[in-house]
Amino acid sequence: MAQEMWTEERPPGDFYRILDPDGELETEAPEMDEEELLQLYRTFIATRVLEEKMLNMQRSGEVSLVARTLGEEATPLGGAAALQPDDWIFHTYRQTPALLYWDRPMVEVIASATGREPETIAEQLDTEDPAVNFSPDYTPIGTNVVNGVGAAMADAFNDRDTVTMVFTGDGSTSQGAFHDGMNFAGVFDVPAVIICQNNQWAISEPAHRQTGSETFAQKAAAYGLSSARVDGNDVFAVYEKAREAVERARSGGGATFIECVTYRMGAHNTSDNPNRYRDDSEQREYWEDRDPVDRYDTYLRNRGILDDDTETELRDEIDDQVADAVEQVRSISNSEPDRMFDTTLHGESWRERHQRAELHRELNGKNPFVDFTGEGFNE
Amino acid sequence: MSNDLDRMELNTDVEIDPQETEDIDLITAVNRTLHQEMDRDESVRLLGYDIGPLGGVYRGTEGLLEEFGKNRVIDTPLSENGIIGTAAGMAMRGERPVPEIQFMGFFYPAFGQFMYAVVKMYKRTGGALEMPMTIRIPYGGGIKALEYHQESTETYFIHTPGVRVICASTPAQTKGLLAASIRNDDPVIFLEPKSVYRGIDEPVPSAEYTLPLDEARIVREGSDVTVLTWGAMVHQAKSAATDVDADVEIVDLRSLSPLDIETILDSVSKTGRCVVFHEARRTLGLGAELSALINEYALDRLKAPIKRATGYDVHFPGHDIEDDYLPDDERARYAIEAVMSYEF
Repeated sequence: MAQEMWTEERPPGDFYRILDPDGELETEAPEMDEEELLQLYRTFIATRVLEEKMLNMQRSGEVSLVARTLGEEATPLGGAAALQPDDWIFHTYRQTPALLYWDRPMVEVIASATGREPETIAEQLDTEDPAVNFSPDYTPIGTNVVNGVGAAMADAFNDRDTVTMVFTGDGSTSQGAFHDGMNFAGVFDVPAVIICQNNQWAISEPAHRQTGSETFAQKAAAYGLSSARVDGNDVFAVYEKAREAVERARSGGGATFIECVTYRMGAHNTSDNPNRYRDDSEQREYWEDRDPVDRYDTYLRNRGILDDDTETELRDEIDDQVADAVEQVRSISNSEPDRMFDTTLHGESWRERHQRAELHRELNGKNPFVDFTGEGFNE
Repeated sequence: MSNDLDRMELNTDVEIDPQETEDIDLITAVNRTLHQEMDRDESVRLLGYDIGPLGGVYRGTEGLLEEFGKNRVIDTPLSENGIIGTAAGMAMRGERPVPEIQFMGFFYPAFGQFMYAVVKMYKRTGGALEMPMTIRIPYGGGIKALEYHQESTETYFIHTPGVRVICASTPAQTKGLLAASIRNDDPVIFLEPKSVYRGIDEPVPSAEYTLPLDEARIVREGSDVTVLTWGAMVHQAKSAATDVDADVEIVDLRSLSPLDIETILDSVSKTGRCVVFHEARRTLGLGAELSALINEYALDRLKAPIKRATGYDVHFPGHDIEDDYLPDDERARYAIEAVMSYEF
């Protein structure tokens, strides 16, 4: 197996950073009070506990597939923390911290992975909308970049001061949709922040097979967008650059593209086996030394904001929250099969009526094919 | 084409008061309708390239930029995926975008956004996010244009759940159907038969009106054979109907998806014979579905096999032999005569 050491031409250390890997400040920390600092910490821990639990649920067959955020939590967290209520996030499948930071209910996060129809989940869960709006998560990568930019265009045309944040990955920068979205963002000067979570692997393809450019950040120049390249494992750095970008967007300064350099510590998802394509012991060690949570943990302890007691208390609280959410998810009944017809189109069509009836017959052990006149199933 | 159109025969499903109509062609009807809908609803925004100062390559959006400004008539980069994707994002945020795709053959780069976002978002969110957008697409041949400017590949859209596919055949139909599409909360593919754009003038009511999005239209009643058709072929079918020794019923489907199956089955059950007449390639064209539908639900009413008078399964040919590819009144007449001559 060919060893893929550094996947980019430019070394990963060549970026904006505030908190060094040892948890020491390299420059001034963002202005945040103790509660805000703890909120970031809480979200870090909640993400790890929740995703660990979901991984277990995957192993026991309760959810089909899980894509974890492990090792790259600081990027979605720092980005999301820079938003204000009523802003929008268009996300993919590796932004759990963004969801949890803005109180998207854990039960919804888990339930959406259980394969139940969205109508079933919505009907059986009594949850409140989070303060920041979330698109559904996107699995076809790059798609959300264009939709997010369209949403931001709508804000601009309506003179709203809403900001749209789009999360995407290094792999998606190879997609036409990424370029379509970036180009529209530049042409229409939209209030959007596009964050590239460069975790250096798109399943088995390394970042240097996604681009011939030195960095992803420099792609912004081609579209006339502002840009930044930051240490994606430094929550302060991501937050600070995202905050500047959000401010710029809100004040009519247009869109920003931020490359956050991080590393996917685990597999792409639970059906992936990275041992087949990367021998990453050396890389792994490098990135473990730069773990976003450890780094931040050290900082808080050095500042006297966090101690063992606070941590234990917080972890207990989160364990309870996750256990409660899992219990709620388990209480949701399976979807009625004919839910599959719901919310396809408004109103009712002959085909829909007929095919619903056919399905019911099939489920009842009856022959669905006995209508030879189109007049339905009269019996 | 269709200069033999008898205005008095037009069936627009609306009372036409000659005092309050104007004689306009199909593309002018598009323009009037866009103007009207933008006037009544500020969330209606047009997107596309060449739609601003030029007014669209067919002039469908002429004058609208001056009237509504650049935030309502949005001249975009030359990117179909960008147009459809940003329109989807706008729809997710409560707008009612009306993107224009310049030619049907240019839609293919937009299939990503179409499949991933446009037709799926309503379902994915359990109804929480709606996608009220109307994608206008000139389609079909008959204008001696370049390659990829003549496509009639509506099957790709019809095969897709979560989208309405509407096709107008006359100016009055266009106004009512386009207004209804824009006001509808589903994504709509709105097909405009571009060979008819300037081909026919008819009286179109000046007042606002909508036509149902899920009903076919009986263009001409008859008792011997049903012709199922849409778009430009409606006019060819009318011409053929006057030229055969049979009492021909013509059904303009109007809604290609979902289909008005009751009207189709009623008509075929009455006449016992059916010709499907479309510009699209035959294999897996809508005719295949219609034929299967009738086979499933009206087989014992049939007096002859269903015939499909269509385009051939080839790439749209060059100008010199375009007329040999395209179905016309003659091909329709042959098909009608064939099913009339058959005896089980």
